[in-house]
Amino acid sequence: MTAKIECRHISKVFIQKGKQRVHVLEDISLAVRNNEFLVILGPGQSGKSTLLRIIAGLETPSEGQVLLDGRPVTGPGPDRGLVFQSYMLFPWKTVFGNVELGPRLRGVPREERRRIAQHYIELVGLGGFEKHYPHQLSGGMKQRVGIARAYANNPQVMLLDEPFGQLDAQTRYFMEKETARIWETEKRTVLFVTNNIDEAIFLGDRIVTLKGKLPGRMDRLWEVNLPRPREHTDMAFLKLRHTITAACELTL
Amino acid sequence: MVEMEEGIQRLGRQDRSIANEVQKSVRERRPLTLRRVITNEYFLHVVSSAAFLYLWHEVAASGVFKGGLCTPWEVVVRFRGLLTDTLAGLTLWGHIGASAQRIAIGFVLASVVAIPLGLFMALNPYVNAVVKPVFDIFKPMPPIAWVSIAILWFGVGEESKIFIIIIGTFVPCLLNAYNGIRLIEPELYDVIKVLGGKRWNEILQVSFPASFPAIFAGLQISLSLAWTCVLAAELVASRSGLGFIIVQGMKFTDAALVIGGMVMIALVAWVSSLLIAGLEKLLCPWRRDIRDL
Repeated sequence: MTAKIECRHISKVFIQKGKQRVHVLEDISLAVRNNEFLVILGPGQSGKSTLLRIIAGLETPSEGQVLLDGRPVTGPGPDRGLVFQSYMLFPWKTVFGNVELGPRLRGVPREERRRIAQHYIELVGLGGFEKHYPHQLSGGMKQRVGIARAYANNPQVMLLDEPFGQLDAQTRYFMEKETARIWETEKRTVLFVTNNIDEAIFLGDRIVTLKGKLPGRMDRLWEVNLPRPREHTDMAFLKLRHTITAACELTL
Repeated sequence: MVEMEEGIQRLGRQDRSIANEVQKSVRERRPLTLRRVITNEYFLHVVSSAAFLYLWHEVAASGVFKGGLCTPWEVVVRFRGLLTDTLAGLTLWGHIGASAQRIAIGFVLASVVAIPLGLFMALNPYVNAVVKPVFDIFKPMPPIAWVSIAILWFGVGEESKIFIIIIGTFVPCLLNAYNGIRLIEPELYDVIKVLGGKRWNEILQVSFPASFPAIFAGLQISLSLAWTCVLAAELVASRSGLGFIIVQGMKFTDAALVIGGMVMIALVAWVSSLLIAGLEKLLCPWRRDIRDL
């Protein structure tokens, strides 16, 4: 199977205030298969968000390159959808207006746009909330809009940057189930960044762990061979959780 | 699925549910007690206003200020008379109209130039680099300082008054439009980029709508400054306007005319700021439900 997304020896150095060098990523190489759910798991300050922004094309790597279907990525594009940690909904647009934005920017005719937006609003379970403004929604609902907006642009790859980091534990757990449901309804290649090991095992086909502290380096690749739908209390789940935790603690 | 349908039924008609998240709508009902009446916001408004008017009346009636202060009622009577009688050829409506017209012309001219200029400065660093030094020279100058030069240049007619209003309203209009764009969360632009939008999509979809509230805040500040400016101009030299009424009252030691003029300015300025607030509500519907923002 060929890789959908391939990162080749990516390093990133930020230069702050003109002279201070901040080394964020060091020699990251990974391949994401088509329609795979790959989770990047790492503690805070390990450069995971930067890696996702480089794949999205919002940052250029200092070294190495990102390939999408074998072609190098040169900038942001509608073939990759990004879901932001802090939602980044447009407060002046309704739920519908936010979701239809991608197709609208691509010049999709109004009727078609309406159909697409409605479909994804229903998919994320927000039917009936089309005319609500973001400030009228709860955190979980806001991120549903974020997911619907990314999906509505019909990207080949979905990039999610700690999408549930701001949610409370129950809503987070519920949104993880929803994410699994949505992904199984409409399969895409997914790159999901998180610092939460339960979230990683619950969702991922494979997990890439990053070493803590900057610069972020690849640690290991884990296969999650658990049947879906998964349960947090499943013995196999807990065993894998223990193994990964133990291995990560060794490196820290 | 059946379980979920039942769940929604149980929530009642007004409530909305998506899976585990419920939006409830309820009406608060509390018994009417004396304590609630006394602590009622509007009740307290009325109490404090009445107390103020009463105090004013007592002080005026006691004669401490001699001819310098009249009772509130005398002000009302004086101005009711002005609705039909004329002062220097104009009724009260005529004078309000004269001031309002100056404000309207000056305010529109200033905002039409200042807002786009502020937006351009924030969006394009080269425009900013060119305009900023000149703007920074004029920024700290109080608009009232322009009154004398305006009269030297334009005489005592309408032009000098409108000029002063333009000078006074230009700075806050421009600064707020400028800051409105500079303070936008940069990740919002990333959203447009990732969705495949171009630079002009970013400006149209993010920069403009995001700067609207700041622009309107600037308009509100400008408007109250415009009333200060028109008053200053009318106090110096004019044959009409609310400032003229105040000057006439001063000349003839007519306290009712002075105080009434001041109250009228407050009233008209308040109404005009309501108009701007109404326009903002119309153009920024997403801010409608956010209180105290």
